[in-house]
Amino acid sequence: MTHSTIGDLLLQNGVSRRAFLKYCTAMASLMALPPSMGRALAETLRAARRPSVIYLSFQECTGCAESLTRAFSPSVESLLFNVISLDYQDTLMAAAGHRAEEARAQAMKDNDGEYLVIVDGAIPTADGGVYGMAAGRTYLDVMQEVGKGAAAIICLGTCSSFGGIPMAKPNPTGARPVSEIISGKPIVNISGCPPVPEVITGTLFQYVSMGKLPELDELGRPKVFFGNSIHDRCYRRPFYDEGKFAKTFDDEGARNGWCLYELGCKGPTTYNACATVKWNGGTSFPIESGHGCIGCSEPEFWDKGSFYAPLSSAAFGKAGNVSPREAAKLVGAAAVVGGAIGLGAAAVSRQRQQKLAGAAPDKKEG
Amino acid sequence: MDLLTFARGPALQFALVVFTIGVAWRIAGIALLRSGKLLSEPRAPLVKALLAGLATTGSRSWPHPEFIGRTGAGEAIGYSYHIGLFIVVLAFAPHIQTWAGFLGFDWPALPSGVITIISVITFALLLAVLFRRLTHRVLRLLSNFDDYFSWFITTLVIVTGLMATAHFGGRYETLLGLHVLSFDVLLLWFPLGKLMHAFYIFPSRAINGYLLARKGAPS
Amino acid sequence: MNQAVPAPFKADHQTRMPPEARAQRALSSFAHEFGALTALRMESCIHCGMCADACHFYIATEDPKYTPIWKVEPFKQAYKRESGPFAPLYRWLGLKKEVTTAELEQWQELLFDSCNLCGRCSLICPMGIDVATLIEQARHAMFDAGLAPAELHQSAQRQELFGEPFESKEPYRQKLEQIGRDHNVTIPVDLPKANVLLLVSGVEIDRYPAQVVALAKVMAHLGAKATFRSDALFAENMAYFVGARDWQRNISEYVIREAAAIGAKTVIVPECGHAYTALRWEAAELHGSKLPFKVQHITEFLADALKAGALKLRKAEGGSVTFHDPCQLVRRGGVMDAPRALMAALGLDLHELKNKKGFSFCCAGGGGVLLIERATELRHRAVASKLHEIDATGAERLVTSCSGCRASFEDAAQHFHWNKTPASLLELVANHLA
Repeated sequence: MTHSTIGDLLLQNGVSRRAFLKYCTAMASLMALPPSMGRALAETLRAARRPSVIYLSFQECTGCAESLTRAFSPSVESLLFNVISLDYQDTLMAAAGHRAEEARAQAMKDNDGEYLVIVDGAIPTADGGVYGMAAGRTYLDVMQEVGKGAAAIICLGTCSSFGGIPMAKPNPTGARPVSEIISGKPIVNISGCPPVPEVITGTLFQYVSMGKLPELDELGRPKVFFGNSIHDRCYRRPFYDEGKFAKTFDDEGARNGWCLYELGCKGPTTYNACATVKWNGGTSFPIESGHGCIGCSEPEFWDKGSFYAPLSSAAFGKAGNVSPREAAKLVGAAAVVGGAIGLGAAAVSRQRQQKLAGAAPDKKEG
Repeated sequence: MDLLTFARGPALQFALVVFTIGVAWRIAGIALLRSGKLLSEPRAPLVKALLAGLATTGSRSWPHPEFIGRTGAGEAIGYSYHIGLFIVVLAFAPHIQTWAGFLGFDWPALPSGVITIISVITFALLLAVLFRRLTHRVLRLLSNFDDYFSWFITTLVIVTGLMATAHFGGRYETLLGLHVLSFDVLLLWFPLGKLMHAFYIFPSRAINGYLLARKGAPS
Repeated sequence: MNQAVPAPFKADHQTRMPPEARAQRALSSFAHEFGALTALRMESCIHCGMCADACHFYIATEDPKYTPIWKVEPFKQAYKRESGPFAPLYRWLGLKKEVTTAELEQWQELLFDSCNLCGRCSLICPMGIDVATLIEQARHAMFDAGLAPAELHQSAQRQELFGEPFESKEPYRQKLEQIGRDHNVTIPVDLPKANVLLLVSGVEIDRYPAQVVALAKVMAHLGAKATFRSDALFAENMAYFVGARDWQRNISEYVIREAAAIGAKTVIVPECGHAYTALRWEAAELHGSKLPFKVQHITEFLADALKAGALKLRKAEGGSVTFHDPCQLVRRGGVMDAPRALMAALGLDLHELKNKKGFSFCCAGGGGVLLIERATELRHRAVASKLHEIDATGAERLVTSCSGCRASFEDAAQHFHWNKTPASLLELVANHLA
């Protein structure tokens, strides 16, 4: 299934040198590489052999795969599927059942130690991992087996990167991210729910063309895409600075495109490329469409309080963000307790006062 | 759980509860001590004296003209940073949203850039105040741990807030987490030290103003 | 700084007791009268140091130990350790040390020698703390611990035991009657029934007999049925200075008893400052119930009479005047307008002091300081700027309405070779009756 080089393949598919060069230059600029790299990338890529890729799907909604297939840009992007050899992907591959499993086993055997593993979905670990099974095996088992011979693992989406929605409280299946299951292998977390399509393809492109993984931040995400917060790149930032905020979703501020901080936007603490690369080939992103960022590329974003409570609101209480009623009850109860203790302290003090005063001499003597 | 979620979640809840208990304890602990009865014939009618007492809560905010020559500068610096703190706490949009979560209503904010300027000025004033406390002979005699720690924790909140806004010294969410955490520590410290003057100031000025006005004396 | 190291302060002691017992007694005494208001005041201090800027002892010496709130520091510590809301924590964690007798001995100077109880500190405090009252309360504790200045203790004891504040070869009653004879004026003593009970100050009898004459004259002029009573002759309450609470009560009880005996509606405090505070604002509380008579300073009484048209005055001759507001009368007593009404009626060209009315600086003799010998130098330093302030008004004469202030200014004039001697407002009034 592997062709000799990507260059051969492209020619076969009628992609001109020029078009390919344009694509590489675009990709280079997307990854903040100097323009001269475009040519170098093109050469490297052309001469590269297609790496084997095994794509594992666990506790996922398939949104990440859907996002990947929505990647825009010159149709050459879809050729990325030919730039890599996608040897196992249970949604897209033609084979099914045992044949599919055999294909995976074969790919693993043929490319031991060199194949790339892409994972989407979290991995359930409770009760021996029974909450996620395919072909009679637990996801946990499959991950550990496939992970053994991998050159690197790319986690697609917040679920595989950080646990995502399956890991949200109360996490009944014991869902965990890939990085807590596999150790000793390079892991790249392309988080997002789902990740931006071009972020996925850009990272894959870099790996294939440069032969190494991109520079990663503290959470294992490619710095080039996850290095800035949404807030720092948001086109509505001037409104934040001016103090102009939408208060409801259809008020004047909202219609004027003002900052969505008060409607719960988590832009300041969310790192992703949404504000620059955007979605649907640069069409828009949630904030531009009038909804605050929900922080979907960050760990535990489901458990950090309401999507509609501002980042600065207190994050305790029943619903994740305290309501005025709850706060009043809490403060009221604490005040009563404090008052009672104070009453006790005053009583003790008065008693001591009596004792101290009682020890006074008969004042008439002087 | 990351630092920021901890700081604005369980830590904040704990700090609020401890703060409330501590404040109520401290106030009840003195309010419920013995009170004497006033038996001398008042010079001013009761209502007039009470109103004068209320007026004193405001008028003592600035020294009488006879005192200003000696004490105006120090007083001005002290009040200025209080005003700066109030503005930052009450007119910065993210802070207003924190209040709104507790109170159920919000109010207009000042532009965030203006708040940054005021915060920097407030920080500078806090430094000036510390310098004064360390060099003024009276303040050196009077000052104790309470004075210095209260200064420290207040300044820490302002500094971490500025650092977070400026993305200076670490990842934004870490700095923000430190900012909220330092506020939690401020809440925990509040009932233990001189910060309680925020609560005492009204009854103290009002009662003493009333007692003076009752005698017909200036307050 | 080429000042020699000052000799360590040596405190006066009274009543034999083991040294440790003194601190214990001070605490007991403090515990007696301490309550919510004192607690609030002690809790409210934010160590801003502004009170120092109001105190002429600090202003004159720049010595931070004279900071008013610092004068009650041992008691603040004791309060926090013994009676505050977190007192048990302070004790268990050893956060506040116990007050020692040695500490209190050092504090004798701060509480007595360097405080006139003038109340300026109470006016400047941004937290509204009545520092002067805290100092009064601390003095109670010091007295009970036998740690008061000797002179104050002696005079208070004398008045408590013998009814007279100062040593005198002749009983004061006789001296009083002699004044009447010398100046050919009737001085009513021991009338069985009267509307007004008159009090006189020992300082007046000894040094300013003209004031006594003036008092008798105006009373006669107004046709007031007034009398002195020999069992409660004195306006002074020396126990007030030394902080002897029980003695203070005993002394004012005599006044109350005599006033009741003659059926007086009004008790007049003559030209004296602390007498007004002790009787007008503290006697009822010590007595335990409202007083059955009005207490008025003589200037108040006269101002009322002026307003009612009963008192008519001629214009006074002579140059411009400035008025010294006695602290206990004005800032702590509330009698601000009465003297000015009288001065206006006398047509005096009044040049007010820069720090006037409730803001005037003390004569530095108040609070008993004038009586403390070892405090003389400090007192002189403190009063120096007041003399300059008086000169700066350009007034030719100084008028006041307290014999204590008069004595203090006279002493200062002697020390500084100052050209003004204070005149009595009452005498001015009495000499210009229409």
